[in-house]
Amino acid sequence: MTIGSEKNIHPALSDQDWGYATISQTPTSVNPNPKKWFYFYLAAPAIILLAAITIYPFFWLIYMSFHKVGFGAVSDVFVGLKNFSRLFSDAKFIAGWGLLLKYSAICLTIQVLVGVALAVVLNNSRYEKPLITMFLMPMMVSPVVAGLLFYYLYNGTFGWYHWIFQSLGILGETSILGNSSTALYGIILVDVWQWTPLITLITLAGLKRVPQDQLEANMVDGAGSISNFFHISLPNIYPFLLIAILLRFMDNFRFIDAILVLTGGGPGNSTRLLPVYLFDVSFQFFKLGRGAAIAISLLIVTIILGMILVRVLEDPARKSTLAGDSDS
Amino acid sequence: MASRELISYDTGATVKILKWVSPVFLGAYLIWALLPLFIMLMASFKDLLDAFTLPKPGQWGDVGVFFDFSPTITHYIALFAENNFGTYLFNSLVASVGSAMIAVTLGSMCAYSLSRTEFRGKKDLLFWIISTRMAPIVAVIVPLYAIFRSADLVGTLPGLILAFTTFNLPFAIWMLKGFFDGVPYAIEEAAQVDGNNRFQAFLMILPLVAPGIGAFVILCILFAWNDFLFATIIGSGGAKTLPAATKELVQPQNIDWGKIMAAGVVTTAPMIPLGLLVRRYLVAGLTMGAVKE
Repeated sequence: MTIGSEKNIHPALSDQDWGYATISQTPTSVNPNPKKWFYFYLAAPAIILLAAITIYPFFWLIYMSFHKVGFGAVSDVFVGLKNFSRLFSDAKFIAGWGLLLKYSAICLTIQVLVGVALAVVLNNSRYEKPLITMFLMPMMVSPVVAGLLFYYLYNGTFGWYHWIFQSLGILGETSILGNSSTALYGIILVDVWQWTPLITLITLAGLKRVPQDQLEANMVDGAGSISNFFHISLPNIYPFLLIAILLRFMDNFRFIDAILVLTGGGPGNSTRLLPVYLFDVSFQFFKLGRGAAIAISLLIVTIILGMILVRVLEDPARKSTLAGDSDS
Repeated sequence: MASRELISYDTGATVKILKWVSPVFLGAYLIWALLPLFIMLMASFKDLLDAFTLPKPGQWGDVGVFFDFSPTITHYIALFAENNFGTYLFNSLVASVGSAMIAVTLGSMCAYSLSRTEFRGKKDLLFWIISTRMAPIVAVIVPLYAIFRSADLVGTLPGLILAFTTFNLPFAIWMLKGFFDGVPYAIEEAAQVDGNNRFQAFLMILPLVAPGIGAFVILCILFAWNDFLFATIIGSGGAKTLPAATKELVQPQNIDWGKIMAAGVVTTAPMIPLGLLVRRYLVAGLTMGAVKE
């Protein structure tokens, strides 16, 4: 925003501008000579509450990771780095990471391909609003309900989806979850069902910001709308997709509700993604020390991904695209 | 938007094919998106025998048996009469609304302060706030459970509200900061010149961010309502919510699918209108404010 431009109306009055990404050097919102104590008191309750429920558990987690945690009368035994070193020889731990990556890669590939295709077809179509509204509905379903629903649909004797798979000749008698070679795809379909619309929404937001003058210039050069999509629109929505992919990837670390309901990690270990394995170690076998070590490995990767995300958000070039400064 | 006119200049063969393929693609996706929900709704009104009726594999002509049943509401009645779903509905409501209120109240105060001041380490503080939201719940739930147990909060509604606040509060702070950043300090300055104190000035600019606050209250309710891990582990016993109770209907011996589907409908039905109500803020909310529509 430049001073004097017609866009420079009062942000609070502008319906479009919420100011998310206009954070940069926005001096207008900052109190130039603040009496800090007032702001400090106002922020304190939230910060203290957040600290109490995050920092304390974090140190507890580190403590547990160096101990063999006992129950009741049995006291904790310090074991040094043993919990960590044992992870490297733990086949399920390594397989868990592999499965988490494979699951995320397949989910995201399908979601991005289908989601972007949907967005392109929907963009500026007459039915954009009603259709996107209906596409969104699976996102509102509690993951555990989604898991139970698909568990029913996949059932080998009375599930309608199983009947469809069987009728199409994709599957035999065994349900998709009953076979260790297909179970992973069973849980992938649930994630695709719930979260493809998010990619569509984000892509649609991106497509609305593609600079019209670039599209027109390309057309003057004799390009068709296919070429327009690949040469102008796609590069413009790339930052949006990057954010969507990072967020979905991190959500795969967070949400295992549907998987716990659908397979619980089985059959065999074919769907025991790392977070599911962590859940088992902590809540089935009560090996809290080892669980803490696994949790820390998961946290470290999450923090790295989070730093990448923030870096993407704060990159000035991307920021201006995301904020829609090119929009008019 | 000018693009519609632009595209109509195009008469290439690929474009013509696309014109035919797009409606088919959209129709197919519409079925894929809504069919599971539709089957859930229908199954919740079917008695056990009807719910288990399937045509033989490959008999596409017999799909009609899906609609061949006499609707019954016994599952819904049983849920509330036998399974205490009234209590679980109440728990879900109190826990999600409670945590949303706390998160947005404390969050807006904190977001406002962070938006009005510049200090060293502010970026790190903000990163810490957003990272507490992104941390995998499975990773931190064991120590959290230990803390909650020592404070006697396990299985109580206040405990569950606090547990939901762990992910709603950082969300509210992060999102609302974006809103307050859009309100110039000059407005409060003017209010203070008029004789209001700082806190009154803060209250006076709240109406300017009211749409955002309202939307994020609803999104916080949605996140809390749909949560499962905290609800089963922290809420187990005295403060069971709908998703946790629905999961418990799955017994190893006898799975009453009619009831489970009815419970699924009860859990999902309030959230769909709420989600669509804040449709405009959904993208911003789900991307932590990175993308706005």
